[in-house]
This record gives sequence, C-alpha cells and structure tokens, in this order.
Amino acid sequence: MTTVANPPKLVNSQMVRKPSHKGSQFVKWITSTDHKTIGYMYLITSFSWFLIGGILALFLRAELTRPGLQFWSNEQYNQIFTMHGTIMLLLFATPLFVGFTNVIMPLQIGAADVAFPRLNMLSFWLYLFGGTMAFAGFLAPGGAASFGWTAYAPLASSQFSPGIGGDLWVMGLALSGLGTILSGVNFITTIFTMRAPGMTMFRMSIFTWNALLTSILVLLAFPPLAAAFLGLESDRLFGSHIFDPANGGAMLWQHLFWFFGHPEVYILAIPFFGIASEILPVFSRKPIFGYKGLVAATIAISALSVSVWAHHMFASGQVLLPFFSFMTFLIGVPTGVKFFNWIGTMWRGSITFETPMLWILGFLITFLFGGLTGIILASPPLDFAVSASYFVVAHFHYVLFGTVVFSMFAGFYFWWPKMTGKMLNERLGKIHFWMTFFGFHLTFLIQHWLGIKGFPRRYADYLPTDGFTFMNEVSTVGAALLAASMIPFMINIWITRKSPMVGVDDPWGYGGSLEWATSCPPPRHNFTSMPRIRSERPAFDLHHPHIKTEGH
Amino acid sequence: MKTTVNLFVGLALFYFLLGGIYWAVGGEAVGITALTLSGALAALVGFYMWFAQKRMGGVLPEDRPTAEIADGAGELGFYSPHSWWPLPVALSACTAGLGLIIGWWLTFIGLGALIVSILGYVTEYERPTKSKH
Repeated sequence: MTTVANPPKLVNSQMVRKPSHKGSQFVKWITSTDHKTIGYMYLITSFSWFLIGGILALFLRAELTRPGLQFWSNEQYNQIFTMHGTIMLLLFATPLFVGFTNVIMPLQIGAADVAFPRLNMLSFWLYLFGGTMAFAGFLAPGGAASFGWTAYAPLASSQFSPGIGGDLWVMGLALSGLGTILSGVNFITTIFTMRAPGMTMFRMSIFTWNALLTSILVLLAFPPLAAAFLGLESDRLFGSHIFDPANGGAMLWQHLFWFFGHPEVYILAIPFFGIASEILPVFSRKPIFGYKGLVAATIAISALSVSVWAHHMFASGQVLLPFFSFMTFLIGVPTGVKFFNWIGTMWRGSITFETPMLWILGFLITFLFGGLTGIILASPPLDFAVSASYFVVAHFHYVLFGTVVFSMFAGFYFWWPKMTGKMLNERLGKIHFWMTFFGFHLTFLIQHWLGIKGFPRRYADYLPTDGFTFMNEVSTVGAALLAASMIPFMINIWITRKSPMVGVDDPWGYGGSLEWATSCPPPRHNFTSMPRIRSERPAFDLHHPHIKTEGH
Repeated sequence: MKTTVNLFVGLALFYFLLGGIYWAVGGEAVGITALTLSGALAALVGFYMWFAQKRMGGVLPEDRPTAEIADGAGELGFYSPHSWWPLPVALSACTAGLGLIIGWWLTFIGLGALIVSILGYVTEYERPTKSKH
C-alpha cells in the first residue's frame, strides 16, 4: 500500500485566481489605483521616452560626425535637439522620479497606498497625453518645436518660430507639468500622513527623504514654469506682449524659466542620490554613514537650489554675478558632504560588486566629473569663455546622465526582484554596465575639449578647417556604443521573464528599509504583516535580530 | 508632525531671508518676487501643519519612537479599488488645451467634457444609488 502525499494547497485566494485575459489585464492597468501599477506605468513610459530621446541623440551625433550637412537641414536639426532636450528632461527624467517614488516610497514608509490614488492616475494620464502632444509636433506642418528646450524669448514667439509645433510643445508640457505638480502634492501628503507607527521622520529611509524634498522642489519650481508657459502661449496665440523684448520680456522669460530650470536639475538629481544612498549600504554591508548629516545636506541642497538660477544667465550680462556665483559655490558644499557620506559608507565595508553596486560606482565617478566642471562653470570668468559651447554640453550630460541614467539602471537591477519577483541576469547586467560606462565616457569626455576649442552647442555643421572632425568622430563612436548597450538590457529583461521567483523578502540579504520586509512582489496593499520599527533599518532588524543597529 | 512643521517653517524663513538679501544686494524684481512667493508657499504649508498639529493634540503613533504597529490599528480610510474617471478627466483637459491651438470649438467640447468628467470623478463614491464599497 502506498501513501500518497497530498500536495500543499494554496489557501490564499489571491494566488489561485484564474489566468487573466490580456484585455482584462489592460483594463485593470488603465483603471488602476494601485501605486505600484501606476509606478510601473510611469517607469515603462518614461523608459520608452528615454529610448526615443536616445534615438534623437543618435540623429544628432550622426549629423555631427563629419563636416557638412549629411542628414538634416538646419531647421530639422533644431527640431531634433529641441525635442531631445525636452524629452530627456521633462518626459524621461522627471517622470522617472515619479515612477520610482510611486513604487518604492509607500513601501518604505509602510503605507498601504499613496494618499490620493485616483489623483495619482490622473497625473499619469496628464503626463502621457501631454508628452504625446509635445512630441506630436513632428507630425505638424512645419515640424516640432525648434527653439531649444529653453524656449528663450523672443525666439519662441510666433514671429520667429511660427507653426503649431511650438504651440503643441507649450501646451503639452504645461499639461504634463500639471501632472508633475499633482504627483508632488500626493507624495508630500503621503509621507506626512501615512507613515507606519514608529516610522518617525528621522527613521525614514534616505530615498524617502529625498523623494519628500524633491516633491517640495516640484511645488516651488513647476508653478513658475506653468505660468511662464501659459504666458508664452498667450503671446503666441492672442498676441499679448508678456515676453516682448521691448518691455523686458526677454529677461523676464529667462528668470522665470531658470527659476524653474535650476530646481529642476535638483528634482532630477536628488531622488537618484536617494537610490545611491539605498544601494551603497546594502552592498557595503554597513549602515549608511552619517544618516542625519546626509538628510541635513539634502535639505540644504534643496533649500539652496532655488537661489542659484541665474548662473545659467551669466553670459546675459544682466545678472548679479557675485551673488549667484557665491550661491553656486555654496551649493557645492552639501553636495560634497553627500559624497563623503557615500565614501564613508563604503569605507572598510565588505563590498561586493553586484550589478546595482557597479552602477552606483559608475554614478559616483561620472557625477564627480560633472560636479567638478560645475565648479569651473560657477566662476563667471571661466563661464564666459566656454558658455554655450560643448564644454557645457559635456558638463550637463555628466551631471544628468551620471545621476539619472546610472542610478536608474542601479535602481532597476536593485528593485527588479521587488517589482517582478525575478532577478535580472548578473552577467548580462555587467556587460550592460561596462558598455554604458565606456560608451558614455567616450561620447562625452572628449566634448570638454571640443568645447574649449570653441565648438558651439546647437550647431548642425562645422568646417573641415575648424579641426573639430576627429573629436566629433570619437564622440559619435561612443554614442553608438552607448546605444548598443541598451541591447543587453533588453535581452536581460526578455530572458529573465520566466525565471523562478526569488521567493524571499530580501533577495540581496542585507536590505534595510521597509520594502524588504514584504514579499516580492508585494501584495495589493503592500504588507500582510509589518515588523516593529525601531531604527531606520526595520527590515534589517527583522532579518538579522542578533545585530543591533544604532537607532535614531 | 513637529519635524514637518519645522521643515516648512524653516524653509519659509530661509526663503524670506534669501529674498531680503537678494533685494539688499541689488537683485532684480523677478527674483525678489519669486523668492518671496516661495517663502509664502512654504509658510502656508508650515502654518497648516502647525494648525493641524495643534488641533489634533497628542502625538501620533508615527511620530512616537516607541510605537508598536498595533498602535496604528483601526480603519485606515477608504481606498478606491479601481477607477475609470482619471482617464476622461485627463483626456478632456488635453482636448481643451489642444483646442486653444486648433480652434475654439474644440476647447468648448473639451471644457464641457472636463466639467462632466470632474463631476464624475468627484462624486464617484458619493452617489446614493450605487454602493461601490
């Protein structure tokens, strides 16, 4: 007689639900109020914009490889760089912050969802439709907006940039900006009112702190932008004279735009600093070094970031150079403090080089270069010499690509098991990293020298006698490598789509913040049970109770 | 609550101070206005947080370092399980915006749809006939 072992039955009804049809899955997503689903939609959409913006960048590099116009007319080139900048800043990087914060922040504070779930979805739709509207300019007669992502007056007026491409750009970005403001409100309310018991403000993970401060910056920065956009649109459509140079409109636009534009840089940077601060402790096997100092530095950066806007306008000759130069040097101090915190976290730790850690090291190196050239540009005499040249282009790509893209991939590899329940392949991840790293530096390092030699940004062409050809060729080769580095990532997603579930709460083994105390992926309202919160690393306390963490 | 009040009141003071300094060293009008309004925005939030804290009295479990998870037990509030309404609200807002470029007729259609969809959005869980809870 044989005994038959009964296979264990799944009692949780959620786990035995019927396989869903593709259509009902689609309806589930577009009517979702789950912060994780909305976060995934944000991540997928912004990553798609990243690919589109990257293709536009390749179009630019292809044109610049050789002297002469090979592919585009000057006007088409203007449209391409305008949309490249717009997409990368406003349709990729900013919503990427919203995506990561949506997925991770409620988990880290132990909340069931965000404070306004339907508003969250509304923000996403405004972003998707607004972004599509801005991009649809390419289909319009006369093409897309071509006045640069900064839309300086009077270039952006209907007189100098006619055609509805510009109007679509302004209205689309105004709508998408409205979505960003609503997300900011949502995140601040969530962090203030929905933390789990015991999760005091000074026990929140650094990522959550950074998401909070970024949301505050969104509230400060995006309304002036919306006001400026509506003013510009009123000039373009109804013939008002808000940004008419005859009554000082050119400077008014620059001030309003950069009063948004500089905090925007920190809106893009701070959440990704937060990702770095989450990943470094996990792979250094040490708690974050100087938690309170790090929070204080982030507060200082966000407070100071609204006081440096006119360093983008040094060359206009109409701004207070000493004030803005001093403030710009000053904001370098808390940024430096953060660097020492990150180094202090790794110092004498047991570092292992898993893919997320590699990406964060890539971020540290790349961002450091960008920070150093930032110090150079903060000094007006040096800025005058290289203003609007490829030196500036190299600087801001080091700052923004270094922070946003490197940390984004770090975050993807790090939280992929949390989001999907599956690990990404390490070997492909490393190939991906090294291709991106060398591709990026090959593309942009040489642009510093290109700028110093005098190649101006936003030019479609140069002469063979200028001596820019070789450096441009190197840069284009780098860009091709950079573009090719997306292939291993895509393959990685594809081949791991059916790999086994990780099955544990914390696949990295040293996770500290609360998202590692729930299953991978988390249930609908995030937690079935929650550990006691006594430090800023509640999940670590739960999984390693024998090691006492220093509580705050 | 105290930390959040301090954060916003601190930001407000800092922006007012910065606006004052900028004004004193000869800054232009846009910057002074923008910094002062930034201070006002931070002060508004800070004041509301302070007011809410005072009215609530006592310390919330999430601000107590020794709180247990059970201290937060009870009804968390109502969460919308799923909703169709955000989609038409955003679509009609974009239609109204697009109408400014294409023609007033589209703006009016968009605004009409926007009003209907906002009403639907706001009253989704307030309608007496259908209980979705």
